[in-house]
Amino acid sequence: MISLFPVLWPELLLVLTASALFLLGLSRSPQARQSAPILAAGALGCVFFGVLMSDQTGALHDTVSSSPTFYIFHFALYIKLIVSAVGVLLVLLAWPVGEDATGNAALEFGHDAGEFFGLMLLSIAGVFLVAGANDIILLFLGIELASIPTYIMVSISRPLPVAQEAGVKYFFLGAMSAALMLFGFSYLYGTTGLTKLDAITHLFAAQNGMSAWQMLAVIFLMAGFAFKIAAVPLHVYAGDVYQGAATPVTAFLAFVPKTSGMVAIIKILYAITGGTWAAPDALFKLFWVLAILTMSFGNVLALLQFNIKRVLAYSSVAHTGYMLVGITTILAAGHHPEIQAEALAGVLFYLAAYGIMNIGAFGVLQMLPAHHSIHSSHPLPPTGGAAETFDDIAGQGYDHIALGLAMAVCCFSLTGIPFTVGFLGKYLLVKPAWEIAQTTSHVALSSKMGWLVVILMVNAAVSAAYYLRIVASMFLRHPERKAPAAARPAGAALLSTPAAWGVALSVAGTLAFFLYIPAANDLSARARLATQIQQKADMPQIISASAD
Amino acid sequence: MSNLWLIMLLAVPLIGSVVTMILQPEAARKWALFVSIATFLVSCMIALQLSEALMNGGTAPEYAGEEIAGIGASFHLGIDSISMCLVLLTTFLTPLAIAASFTAVTERTREYYAWMLALLVVMLGVFIARDLLLFYVFFELTLVPMFFIIGIWGGPERRYAAGKFFLFTFAGGVFTLAATIYLGSKAGTFDIDTVVKVAQTQLAPEARWWILLGLLAGFAVKIPLFPVHTWLPLAHTEAPTAGSVILAGVLLKLGTYGLLRLALPIGLVAADGGVAGNVVALIHFLGALCIIGIIYGALVAWVQQDIKKLVAYSSVSHLGFCILGMLAFNDIGMQGSVLYMINHGLSTGAMFLVIGMVYERFHTRDINKLSGLAKKMPIFAFFFVFFTLASIGLPGLNGFWSEFLTILGAFTSEHLGIGYGVLAATGVVLGAVYMLHMVARVIFGPLKFPGDEHDTTHHAHPEPHGISGDLNHREIGILAPLALAVVLLGVYPNLIVGPIRGPLEHIMNVRTQKSIGIAAAPPHTSHQESL
Repeated sequence: MISLFPVLWPELLLVLTASALFLLGLSRSPQARQSAPILAAGALGCVFFGVLMSDQTGALHDTVSSSPTFYIFHFALYIKLIVSAVGVLLVLLAWPVGEDATGNAALEFGHDAGEFFGLMLLSIAGVFLVAGANDIILLFLGIELASIPTYIMVSISRPLPVAQEAGVKYFFLGAMSAALMLFGFSYLYGTTGLTKLDAITHLFAAQNGMSAWQMLAVIFLMAGFAFKIAAVPLHVYAGDVYQGAATPVTAFLAFVPKTSGMVAIIKILYAITGGTWAAPDALFKLFWVLAILTMSFGNVLALLQFNIKRVLAYSSVAHTGYMLVGITTILAAGHHPEIQAEALAGVLFYLAAYGIMNIGAFGVLQMLPAHHSIHSSHPLPPTGGAAETFDDIAGQGYDHIALGLAMAVCCFSLTGIPFTVGFLGKYLLVKPAWEIAQTTSHVALSSKMGWLVVILMVNAAVSAAYYLRIVASMFLRHPERKAPAAARPAGAALLSTPAAWGVALSVAGTLAFFLYIPAANDLSARARLATQIQQKADMPQIISASAD
Repeated sequence: MSNLWLIMLLAVPLIGSVVTMILQPEAARKWALFVSIATFLVSCMIALQLSEALMNGGTAPEYAGEEIAGIGASFHLGIDSISMCLVLLTTFLTPLAIAASFTAVTERTREYYAWMLALLVVMLGVFIARDLLLFYVFFELTLVPMFFIIGIWGGPERRYAAGKFFLFTFAGGVFTLAATIYLGSKAGTFDIDTVVKVAQTQLAPEARWWILLGLLAGFAVKIPLFPVHTWLPLAHTEAPTAGSVILAGVLLKLGTYGLLRLALPIGLVAADGGVAGNVVALIHFLGALCIIGIIYGALVAWVQQDIKKLVAYSSVSHLGFCILGMLAFNDIGMQGSVLYMINHGLSTGAMFLVIGMVYERFHTRDINKLSGLAKKMPIFAFFFVFFTLASIGLPGLNGFWSEFLTILGAFTSEHLGIGYGVLAATGVVLGAVYMLHMVARVIFGPLKFPGDEHDTTHHAHPEPHGISGDLNHREIGILAPLALAVVLLGVYPNLIVGPIRGPLEHIMNVRTQKSIGIAAAPPHTSHQESL
């Protein structure tokens, strides 16, 4: 118990704050309820700076077995760092303000605010658990802790039937994916007799290859994780759920559950390849196909949408595909630890990059009023007042030039235009893939990686079409109905909201990695460090320590 | 050695662009003009340093930034005579384009001039980048300002045109990026000289072929070569005058420059000079595309009703010559090709300026609605005919030399041969046909102003805020420097052809006695024998 706090303090802090927030939500005093987002942001901020300053690694042993239940190494620290940083931005985005300022009636202090932020913190704590878990049971619990609050968040995010529908859809499909995952975990346990990941890693390192049952376990696990990261063919929920939820919640869904799934994929792949990443060929092929399908379907579907939230939902699928290119590269790297590390660092960097730039896009969308809400004679429109379609944002870049530019920066970054973090992310994903194509002696593998890169590039070009459409709607179109100046929310009022700060931070982050090179160096160095998932050299010592 | 002038070349317009945003609209345009002229002066300063370095055997201006850890790219700027010519072209055209926008752009002026200056920064960046990734960064960044310039200040179809421009160029550019990253990871650095050396010596022929295709994808769209040219007429027609000037004058040259600086040495040139063996077929394929572009562009230009569209299609035709000269792969062709870049920038830029002045007066560019303008606007008619003749290639004006050299290059080339030369020469004839056809109808013939079909003696209706009558002093001031440059390069093309020989031989890997150690090689001051 003594070692509990140094290892688990971020999770503890978040869960305790979440509990406090649940109580706070019951308070009668509006002032008390209004402090909910402050507490949530404060807790996440503490975690962020704590992790940033300490870089402390450690392990938490339980009383039953010798291997630790938690293993906080550079990998887990990195995940905690980026999730808490993006988490602060997400809290800023969801900060409830009067309907007048943002036209977003998603949340009011009158109800649910305390619970909402409590759920948010719980979900983030879930990701932390996934990152640090060294036990497959704990890993599963972490994923569920990250997911279950999101089902509720979707439903309570706005008082509209679409939100309820989205919540129910998300819940049922999520429950099914959890079942798939558990099935896979049970086979993994059944074939190895172990639940500790480091022991499993050790077992697979000693054993030659993988049995059919173990392969089946891995397939089921990947299917379950694929739902969390919204990979094709388990992406179908994305459009409806992302559209139904209030925009800040959509931003949350696009990052937090995806991170939990991606982290779980990395950890499981690491374990079943015995820490070498040298996966069976079948698994490489699976990810190769998965990556191509996910990128291509995501982008094509995004191209067909009229609702920007759906566009961003499917684009989020496409970005999953880009990250899967990185995972494929790791698996293909065979016996080149250098390239493996580079590819894994690429995936981890991209995760952070996507989190940062995506927040800006959703944040702007949430702050722009829909055109029909401008006409005050209408009652609450079906979308809840915030802009959602291309028509809604037409010409709004002129009324709100700062927001328009922020949207442009984020969209260009998501496209991968130079000078943004998105460009850097794509660069770091593509480079290791090319390196494999260059170093491998297998012609087939070389051409497979080559095609993977080419398809990624084609997809980047396709994605430009719909991202550009967002920018073009804001700047190159004129609003269909021009509202009288008085009825439009003032730019200044928009810019003083916490969501505006979230957007500003996100835009700063998107550009900072080019304008301030040390920032990029720092993040990529951290990502590089984070490729050490476990202290490999220590593994045998842990086991031998148990013998003492 | 780090040369701060190169940094200033980028910093001056960049700071200028940021400052523009906080100025009043009236002050913004003057400020933008001032900044662009200052940039021109900086580039002249660099030109002086470069010529001194070439004369006295010093080193060319260069700025080498620190390498960015984990990426391998660095902020490495440098300049040689080819870059210098294009930099001067850019800094020369931009003040003129900005001055031409004074009356044409009345909405959101601050944003407009800020984007123009931002565009200037990235265009200059492309020409002086000596790091492959930095080159790509600037190359791709040109899309953003141009997208907004066309999309916000363009004509009625501007949204479609801007989108098409962006998507075409970006779709080509991503393959260039893929090739760039491949080369960078192969060479371990993005330094262009190193990358070229590695590509020529270490890359397998098949890999090189694919890399060449990747690089070509981005550059061919930008140039534009025949099948991927469809964005260009639309973008040119819809862009505001200054946008068309920059687009035709400089942005298209980014493609040809990339082809010359990267695609040729990386993909085509063999390590011991000459052409790599497995790409001869590709050269013929590209040469055929150029020929198709030359003839097809000319024929389509012939039937246009819109003067601006006509000039836009003429660009497709002209750029075909430029690439053909490059593919000829001999001294004459390559020199002609670089000269063509400059000359096309000058004369086509000037044509777009003149057409913009017509449009500001009559709000139409329809050939059928304009006629006999020479009678009422003699100064305008002079410039119009003058630049048309320059564009056709009248001896004594600049266009002649570049067309002559590129076609001669194609004739004497080891790879292309007479067939290409003959076909290209028909393009010259067609060029004269469509241009003179247009001039004859717009400038000469019975006087006809739009909206004035019946009473041909009456003066055009003055627009409430428009300009009427012949060219005013500002407009003459814009066109006169261009006309001077056209004459200067017409009578003394050696101004460009002389200095670019060294770098061209460097690119072609010619290792003759005199061209070893290119940076220190003295320029050929004597007149070119072949002329």
